[in-house]
Amino acid sequence: MIIFLLRRLFLLGTVLLGLSIFAFSLGYLFPGDPLQNFTGLRYIDSAQREQLIQAYQLDQSYTTQYVAFLTRVLQGDWGLSFSSQQPLLNEIWQVLPATLELTTYALLLSFFIGVPLGILAAMKPNHLFCKSISGMALVGYSLPIFWWALLLIMLFSVTLGWLPSGGRLGVLYEIPTLTGFMLVDILLSNTHYQDAALMDAFRHLILPTLVLATYPTTVMIRFVRDAMLDVWEQNYIKTAKAKGLNRLQVLYRHGLRNALLPVIRQIGLQFSTLITLAMLTEVIFSWPGIGRWLIDSIYQRNFPAIQAGLMIISTLVITINMLTEIMHTFFNPLARKY
Amino acid sequence: MAKFRLYLDENNRSPLAQLWREFSRQHSALFGLILFSTFLSLSVLAPFITPHDPYLQADNLLLLAPSWTEQGLVQYPFGTDDLGRDLLSRMLKGTTYTFGLALLTVLASLLAGLALGALAGMSRGVKSSFFNHLLDLILTIPSLLLAIIIVAVLGPGLENTAWAVILALLPQFVHGIRNAIAEQLKQDYVTAYRLDGANNWQVLTRLIIPNIWEKITVLSSMALSTAILDIAALGFLGLGAQAPIAEWGAMISDSLDIIYVAPVSVAIPGLLIFAAVLSVNLVGDGLKVAIQKRRES
Repeated sequence: MIIFLLRRLFLLGTVLLGLSIFAFSLGYLFPGDPLQNFTGLRYIDSAQREQLIQAYQLDQSYTTQYVAFLTRVLQGDWGLSFSSQQPLLNEIWQVLPATLELTTYALLLSFFIGVPLGILAAMKPNHLFCKSISGMALVGYSLPIFWWALLLIMLFSVTLGWLPSGGRLGVLYEIPTLTGFMLVDILLSNTHYQDAALMDAFRHLILPTLVLATYPTTVMIRFVRDAMLDVWEQNYIKTAKAKGLNRLQVLYRHGLRNALLPVIRQIGLQFSTLITLAMLTEVIFSWPGIGRWLIDSIYQRNFPAIQAGLMIISTLVITINMLTEIMHTFFNPLARKY
Repeated sequence: MAKFRLYLDENNRSPLAQLWREFSRQHSALFGLILFSTFLSLSVLAPFITPHDPYLQADNLLLLAPSWTEQGLVQYPFGTDDLGRDLLSRMLKGTTYTFGLALLTVLASLLAGLALGALAGMSRGVKSSFFNHLLDLILTIPSLLLAIIIVAVLGPGLENTAWAVILALLPQFVHGIRNAIAEQLKQDYVTAYRLDGANNWQVLTRLIIPNIWEKITVLSSMALSTAILDIAALGFLGLGAQAPIAEWGAMISDSLDIIYVAPVSVAIPGLLIFAAVLSVNLVGDGLKVAIQKRRES
């Protein structure tokens, strides 16, 4: 297991190294002056230019420049944003928690809805109810998310007026930012309108979470159903039934434990798709997360922000991938190959 | 696992005929196939069958209601948009962009994936692991982010998004094909063929490719649904197809500001995207089930 962990760690290092090389080369690939792209300064006069070129070692070879770039990234100096002239890392810490919050709730929702429905659909594959679950999963799987979001907004926000159509919290409430997770922040805050603010934040969360959860839920249903059907055919299930265990016992002790293993892995593999969908959801619901921030950056030609966004999002995805894979190996002795 | 059958049906049909038999037994898959072929023919024939020019702006017919309402005209079944362009013609034209372009990107990505996957699958050691890690890298960049980077470097446009989609689809293909090849290499008939003196190239072209094409088809169907959704999403965000082009995603974002006046102009492109993706998924699922059933029989 330790050798496996070391190998994974080495792989993580290699991928991160490759990523940083790619991010560094973007400074040259993006249109405009590389010095501006690296520093994020909009206007550089000639005296300052000389000084900056020295500091960023842009007159040296590409290898030296890359090492300097890597040192800056590790020290937390990620340059400035073109549009606001603020340090990028600060901006990212402001927007990243919002995305993580939304993604976490959507993933949890998809897990709690998708897994039971998937098992149900696998239990009696030819029953009408189970067929309709599979059918619904296929429909949800094929929905273009931005259109689906628009439909829900039209129905619940515009026609019925039940839910707000965008944002994280009504402007009436002021909640100090501690963790960046809105619900946690509200619970930590000591204001007299805590309950009302919590209710309001919750109402703002419903539609984006629902939209974002649609795709992972349907993937989960389809995946659990297939895995369950596969496991249900195995000989050890027959043995368990022959021993006289009832249906629930067989399901829990032998079926679920084997069928849910690949699901852990699937979460890691689907995470990058989930981030793409989260970006679209954020744009539509004006959710102040990293996805909307990045889309705004491309509209404003804010190249340093795109570079920083690439590094942070990809690192996140790689880490989640690694964690799920390690968990998968941890729970499944068969997957341990040295 | 071979199942016991009382009545043996003739099993000496060709693999393809068996596959079709199992496929056509599923109504949903057949329905998907019909829908898919409709979209395919529309995407090729679109320039010839549009009733009006999709870019012609008729000043006297702005925001015409669809023909099923009182105010509509029968010449314009879905009505016109805020610039007086015929919606039906634009929908038809959009099939070429969204559906046709998605097909092309999948094809390009498949060819590149086949070459890289074969290289990765047939090689061993350092070369093989190098390929894998390079792919892991691309796999970790979400497709929309990759598209943003490509748009930032090359500028927005339909062509550049096609490159982004090709790059984003590539890792799935290479991984899938590499795993399929690795599975095939373990088979006894490959060893037997090697003992006969076959080299790598012969093993690949004569044994492996004919045996994995089914898997490739399923992979492509999954990739196609992703490609359609990605192209439409990029068009919607304004990073892909630019304003006058009648791409479905771009049409939705164009019509967003008139959604109260003409909800049809948002509803129909969305429905079309949905139908296109659904048809691809139905065919893909049908194929998967058919392949599995054929193996069992």
